[in-house]
Amino acid sequence: MTGYLRLELMRSLRDPRYLLLAVVAPVGFYLLFAALFGQYTANGVSTSVLLMVSMSVYGAMWAVLSATGPRIAQDRSVGWLRQLKLLPVQPRAVLTARLIAALLLAGPALALVFATATISHGVRLDAWHWLALLGLLWVGVVPIGALGLAIGYATDAESAFGLLYGLYMVLAALGGLWMPISILPSGLQTIGKLLPSYRAADLGWRLVAGRAIDVQSVLMLAAWAIILGLLALFFAKRRATAR
Amino acid sequence: MIDVRRPAAAAAAGKHSADSGESAAVRIKDLTKQFGALRAVDALSLDIRRGETVALLGPNGAGKTTTISMLLGLLAPDAGEISVLGMAPTQAVQSGRIGAMLQEGSLMPGVRVGELLDYVLGLCASPMPRERMLAMTGLQGLERRRVDRLSGGQTQRVRFALAIASQSEVLVLDEPTAAMDVEARHAFWASMRDYTDAGRTVLFATHYLEEAEAFASRVVVIAHGRIVADGTVADLRRSFGMPTVQFRSPVDGSQAFDVLAGVFEVQRQGEQVTLKTTDTDSTIRDLTASAIAWHGIEIHGPTLDDVFLTLVGEAQTGEDQ
Repeated sequence: MTGYLRLELMRSLRDPRYLLLAVVAPVGFYLLFAALFGQYTANGVSTSVLLMVSMSVYGAMWAVLSATGPRIAQDRSVGWLRQLKLLPVQPRAVLTARLIAALLLAGPALALVFATATISHGVRLDAWHWLALLGLLWVGVVPIGALGLAIGYATDAESAFGLLYGLYMVLAALGGLWMPISILPSGLQTIGKLLPSYRAADLGWRLVAGRAIDVQSVLMLAAWAIILGLLALFFAKRRATAR
Repeated sequence: MIDVRRPAAAAAAGKHSADSGESAAVRIKDLTKQFGALRAVDALSLDIRRGETVALLGPNGAGKTTTISMLLGLLAPDAGEISVLGMAPTQAVQSGRIGAMLQEGSLMPGVRVGELLDYVLGLCASPMPRERMLAMTGLQGLERRRVDRLSGGQTQRVRFALAIASQSEVLVLDEPTAAMDVEARHAFWASMRDYTDAGRTVLFATHYLEEAEAFASRVVVIAHGRIVADGTVADLRRSFGMPTVQFRSPVDGSQAFDVLAGVFEVQRQGEQVTLKTTDTDSTIRDLTASAIAWHGIEIHGPTLDDVFLTLVGEAQTGEDQ
């Protein structure tokens, strides 16, 4: 399994689209938004810190999505998955390696936005706060990984990338990553607060504000992970039994 | 199905198949697969002994690829049984006892050739030594190349490397040389010989008759999902082909030749006369005894093309009835 994990990591790190969208874009957006709104505070917390949470979630989300959905769809359509079935390796081991790789790839996206915020806007947190933030956001994007898997098995290579990128934009905008969710009309706010993107970022926003973790967010993220995971399993099974 | 193996060979095969499952490399019984209205594989049975090199010969759409897909566990049969070395196909694949190279399929995009080969070698219980694998497949110098930037022929070589990495006892190749030019094809079969010298069992699908002739110890001809002939190349030629007598003659028309003993068909191209005959001896005796002027006589054995067309034609006729 570690062998396949290495291959997955190598191919992502060499993929300019991963680097551009999951690492460069969130860092760039952070610098832009923090320059525009960094002087404001909300609930006693500087916007430069809240934006750091938003943009790191934004990057991490694309890291896990791009390493799951489009990749699975591509591997299937070019025939690599079929080729793998002829090798002495369990399909389950391949899938597990792929998921772990996707989650590992979220690491650099999170860490680089943290580093940028520290350097450019002097964001300071206690060591354990940094670790807790990293851990919470990392776990928070797990449902997004399940979404990537589901789309990867449900669609083909041509539509997977576009569809996931569209969903990604919706998750980011309605989830309050681009702008505070309180700006949205109340109907969209209600929807936004149900999304895993909002709930993942909310774990971080509360942590940096020194507030207690919202149990509702944890439960909702768990529910999303289970629902999307089952959906991924359903589509994967359907693929396996198709001709 | 027509079994054209000589009695001794057929008897030997029979004796083998009466043994325990372990003696057979591949055992297929009444295998059937239906796609909609099309019966791609139709109650096909085939036993392959260990160490045999078998060509699965047939036109496009004959059911070769479908049969191979089921043999490798990629496709579930509608009916029938398959075992590879006494195991279920997927079990044989998982344990590295059967290796395969399919007709199409790309490699993992974005990784280098060397990385991919190392990964696959790492999966195998008794992997082929890396250097030997590179030498056999001619991949030296390409290890740093990304697999999505290889030419078609180079991709094919990597896929061959993946198929032999586990040094499996049974190797299955589905039209391995379809995308290769003549030179690459020769190189490929040379390295295959290298590999099979160790007594491995090989089953390969092809529609190149010359490949079957040059490489296989046994040819199984398949048409419309059924086996229509099974034997050595020589057996097939003897049973289904007709030899030809060729010479030059100034005599016009074909009537003078048509009446010679044994002649089945006359072809003319200027002075060149080609007689298809059921008995070359009688035809030549008759020719020399006649008043016909001729020179430059040559006798040719039946071509495999003839054999193939006869067999597939017969299967076609059978289908139409």
